[in-house]
Amino acid sequence: MRRIVQSFEESKGMAMLKYVSRRIAISIIILVLISATVFIIFNYLPFDPARLSCGKHCTPEIIAGNRHRLGLDVNWWVQWWRFLEGIFAGRNYGEGAALIHCGAPAFGYSFTQHECVTTLLGQALPVTVSLAIGAFIMWLVLGVTLGVISARFRNTWIDRLSTVFVLVGTSLPTFISGLLLLLFIVLKFNLISPLDLGTWHSPLTDPWGWFSSYFWPWLSLALIYAATYTRFTRSNVIETSSEDFIRTARAKGVSERKVLWKHTLRPALAPILTIAGLDFAGLLGGAIITEQIFQLPGLGRLTLQAVLQDYDLPIIVATTTLAAAFVVIANLVVDLAYALLDPRIRIS
Amino acid sequence: MSNLLDVKGLNVTFPTVDGEVRASVDLNFELNRGETLAIVGESGSGKSVSSLAIMGLHNRAQTLISGEVILHGSKGSTELISASEETVRGLRGKEMAMIFQDPMSSLHPYYSIGAQISEAWAIHNDGSKRDGMKRAIQMLDLVEIPSAAKRAHEFPHQFSGGMRQRAMIAMALVNNPSLLIADEPTTALDVTVQAQVLQLLQNMQKEFNMGVILITHDLGVVAEFADRVNVMYAGKIVETAGVEDLYYRSMHPYTIGLLRSIPRVDQIDNHRLDAIKGAPPSLINLPIACSFAPRCEYSSLVPGGLCNQSQPELEQKEAEHFARCFLPAERIAEVRS
Amino acid sequence: MSQSPKRRAIAATLAIGVAAATALVTGLQSAQAAPAKGGTLYVITHQDQLDHADPQRIYTGRDIAFMESYVFRTLVMYKPVPGAAGTGLVPDLATNTGVATDNGKTWAFTLRPGTKYSDGSAIVCADVKYAISRTFATDVITGGPSYPMQYLDVPQDAKGNSTYAGPYKKTGQADYDKAVTCSPDNRTITFHLNVAKPDFNYAMSYPISSPVPAAKDTGDKMDLAPLSEGPYKVVSYKVKGEMDLVRNPNWSAATDMVRTNYPDKVILKFGVSEDVRDQIFLKDTQKTAINFDAMQLQNNISFWNSPASKTRGLNVFDPYTNYQAYNVSKGHLDCLDVRKALFFAYPYDAIIKLNGGSTLYGTPGDNVIKSNEGVDYAKTTSHINDKNFMSAGNPAYSKTLLATAKTSCPATYAKATSADQGITIDVSDTAAAKKVAAIVTPAMAAAGIVVKYNYIPSGSYYSTIQDITKQSDISGAGWGPDWANASTVIPPLFLKDGGFDLSQNWDDPAYPAFKALCDKANATLNRSAQAKLWQQAAEYAMAQYWVGEVAFTKQQLSWGSKVGGVDFWAPQGTFLFPSLYVKG
Repeated sequence: MRRIVQSFEESKGMAMLKYVSRRIAISIIILVLISATVFIIFNYLPFDPARLSCGKHCTPEIIAGNRHRLGLDVNWWVQWWRFLEGIFAGRNYGEGAALIHCGAPAFGYSFTQHECVTTLLGQALPVTVSLAIGAFIMWLVLGVTLGVISARFRNTWIDRLSTVFVLVGTSLPTFISGLLLLLFIVLKFNLISPLDLGTWHSPLTDPWGWFSSYFWPWLSLALIYAATYTRFTRSNVIETSSEDFIRTARAKGVSERKVLWKHTLRPALAPILTIAGLDFAGLLGGAIITEQIFQLPGLGRLTLQAVLQDYDLPIIVATTTLAAAFVVIANLVVDLAYALLDPRIRIS
Repeated sequence: MSNLLDVKGLNVTFPTVDGEVRASVDLNFELNRGETLAIVGESGSGKSVSSLAIMGLHNRAQTLISGEVILHGSKGSTELISASEETVRGLRGKEMAMIFQDPMSSLHPYYSIGAQISEAWAIHNDGSKRDGMKRAIQMLDLVEIPSAAKRAHEFPHQFSGGMRQRAMIAMALVNNPSLLIADEPTTALDVTVQAQVLQLLQNMQKEFNMGVILITHDLGVVAEFADRVNVMYAGKIVETAGVEDLYYRSMHPYTIGLLRSIPRVDQIDNHRLDAIKGAPPSLINLPIACSFAPRCEYSSLVPGGLCNQSQPELEQKEAEHFARCFLPAERIAEVRS
Repeated sequence: MSQSPKRRAIAATLAIGVAAATALVTGLQSAQAAPAKGGTLYVITHQDQLDHADPQRIYTGRDIAFMESYVFRTLVMYKPVPGAAGTGLVPDLATNTGVATDNGKTWAFTLRPGTKYSDGSAIVCADVKYAISRTFATDVITGGPSYPMQYLDVPQDAKGNSTYAGPYKKTGQADYDKAVTCSPDNRTITFHLNVAKPDFNYAMSYPISSPVPAAKDTGDKMDLAPLSEGPYKVVSYKVKGEMDLVRNPNWSAATDMVRTNYPDKVILKFGVSEDVRDQIFLKDTQKTAINFDAMQLQNNISFWNSPASKTRGLNVFDPYTNYQAYNVSKGHLDCLDVRKALFFAYPYDAIIKLNGGSTLYGTPGDNVIKSNEGVDYAKTTSHINDKNFMSAGNPAYSKTLLATAKTSCPATYAKATSADQGITIDVSDTAAAKKVAAIVTPAMAAAGIVVKYNYIPSGSYYSTIQDITKQSDISGAGWGPDWANASTVIPPLFLKDGGFDLSQNWDDPAYPAFKALCDKANATLNRSAQAKLWQQAAEYAMAQYWVGEVAFTKQQLSWGSKVGGVDFWAPQGTFLFPSLYVKG
């Protein structure tokens, strides 16, 4: 008897493992295709980074030499293959004293920032992750709390006040709210010295410095998202409270507090968590505007500079693929988490 | 005065922007332990509204409730309408319990059946989670769910419709209540399992010696299980009687209409069922007249168009048999036959 | 991302008018206190990094002035003084400003003894020779000036490419070793040129002559970690972060006629958002900071309108001119009358007003050689000095010019006046450029000229218009001299191999005579005789209307109240960095 139960459990575990590994395999294929797409698009854009880096005395031969240095003198699929190869084998550029080596996993070398792209990602990632995590926590706490409160006290002045917040929050673009926050609060009251903006404080060695340098960027992002989440939460909570199972809970004698926190919130928040997971992943790809305003050297600015100023293909490929990877991973995590939250959904 | 529940002049009104919706008006009835009272009527007749009022499940801020509902529980009598929210909550699930029409939507999708029953127990009892689960399994066993110990850990979506309603019953009965309100408990179920669930309810009633209010629109179910019947129309009781009196000597044209509309096993010919013509009235700003008059085939029998001018009182037509109709008992008997 | 430094960002405007006065300096404290030592000088910029920090790749005016004042030393340098004297050369690593022989075809510089790198090692001739050789490695050392390739006597192939490929590939190394030699004592470097170049020593004021020992060369990586010989060394440099400079213990004021080391530290702060940067200087919140950039237009206007802030500002003519290049090749604007019609119809007043007015933006100009450039400038007889010129635009005169063109060059006339052809103008795809277009289009229409716009993404603007197959009829551009000699203005702008000839004028019948005049000027050793020739060449080119709508532009510097010694240094149009100090 016991053996049978065990094998039943095992096969369930196996099914889960199979599901996850299949999803991971599909994700990897998607990411490889995305990277190829970037190479194809870049190939057809009217920009020529080789010309861009050619000086005043610019002959076709010098441009050709630069194109070779940038690795753009071959077909896109060869460039793409070299990119894939570099991830496993590392890459070398140039010769003699000018030889540059990027060790595996190499995503190429940026000739505008003079660094291996892997190093650049390593520098930008902690910034973006710091920004995303703090903003995520802040907006979830703020949005969900406000949403629950306004659902609980719906049609009272509290609810109306939160509606105003939602309206303001969803209609203000980040570049306005961020800039207002920066110019009229942070700088006006000297909360951060303008010269300290964007300075990296490691949360491990200087947790307070880290917190205080990210607080305002968090807030500026969180306000926008929180408004949306307040609206979501409010309507989900209200909708869930009219469910039959909530009436059942009351009929059992469950207290109002418990009806809200246990019976209502879990089903009301499950779909919000899904959206939140994807929003978080989107932020990990780089919050371009907020990073720009608060001068945070994260992935968003890395991408922006590469796309708008430098036409720096290796950075564009790496950040695009990385951003896509975050979304793909978040999708998987959200699906798994949803299955944990809602027993009706089972992975098969 | 009964030994379980006294309902006196119960009014439930919902204020809306269009006016007051008088969902139930001047309800009076009683219920004894071990007795089954059926409340019958079309949807919107006020039968569910009044039972939710007894349970105190209306949002107090959005509902006007007046009258008295006295529950004679195991620890003394309580008037539920004027009692504090906290007092009523303490009685809900303990002294009075309720099961609902759709067990799928009435069970919480995120918690296991066992956990939900165990929670119902834990609210009113001190004990560990393990005790609660034990109790839940016991109850599931009692409502004849096979391999209860294993299935207690399953979720509502893994149960069949009939099983879910059994689980609901187990949950309602976990604290051995004196009053059980069953609101259309079989409507959402397959015909084949309806009888089983009703049978179970009846067994449980005997076992726990409960008073049961059975809300239904199915007179067939009533005939089989109820002791007494309240027929409701447009928020009012229009007829109340023992089940046999009601079936064999209906005293209200509405009840007569209802009875004609049930298929009968003894009439196997292609006899067409007579549905009551027309629709129930809106409950906002009801005119002072018999609410049923517009649909009543017999209102013309009442002299002077009385039915359209004033409201009939609930009057005694026979012993233990009341109806809200101007027609004298003899005329009704003529009509019926 | 390296544009020629002397080519300004993107010319958004067209202008013309009266000859401008020389550098106008306002708001500068006349009596300077003695410089104080110590403190930290902050230099604030919106840029994410320097265009380049490798001495052989750096080519942006302000980056050159900054790095040459603090980090690099070169064979010769500009005099660290304000005014016209600042464009004169002084010896730096060399003991004099160079000795020319063979009519300027050979140049020798002898190194000053006792000069060292920040690691204490001595600077030798081989390091300068190696440094210059790096500029030939065009696939690694990109972006920098190409003077060595142009002037050194290293053979070139038929296509004009040097046979020497630089010190990494080493192809043709022997050719280079012949053209550049070091004396046996490793102290004197001699350059053999392919042409007489009387002003070659000016080229050696660029950081291309800043020494790099072969053993310390890290190729592309030097752009993040340059060596130092100057008063400060780079201790950290992070893109989007900052470049931190601290005093170099191995620098000695005794061997340096140019530089100072007043502040303890100099911090170049990158990536400051434009709004934050402007607030810093509007409100004086960082008292020991200077603005490496120009402010945004609205903030600049506020800054100069406020008596409190404008004392911390300097408003001067910069070294640049903005102009529109008329593409005179066949099928484009190959008709002088049409070019003149375009010129006289331009609404110069409206456009200058749009860009901040003549106080902040600049004034109409008559010449691509700017009036503040010294001996080479002379008033021309055409453009804003023509009697028909009106600064608001003169559509009536344009119409008479077009009437002439109808018979003299009917095809070009048809192109300019027909709705389905029209004159196409290359502009950078920016909001500012679109505002200009909204003013220019109706003004041209008033003269009966149809204009269209070719919007080019700003990052690829110059690479597009420099492609002769992609250039439209008119392209906006800007230029400044590489040094105080019109040899760095007239030939680059108007000679086929000059590097920036957007006029495509080499098939114009007027071209051969002009070319001969330029060649003569280039080879003339007598400076005042040479200046006369440049003046003639400029008069000639301007009368051909190969360019139009010249503007003599201005620039504004701003700084915090605790920065002392502020002055304008003309060569690159920057702060006079060597005199800056932090007030105690």
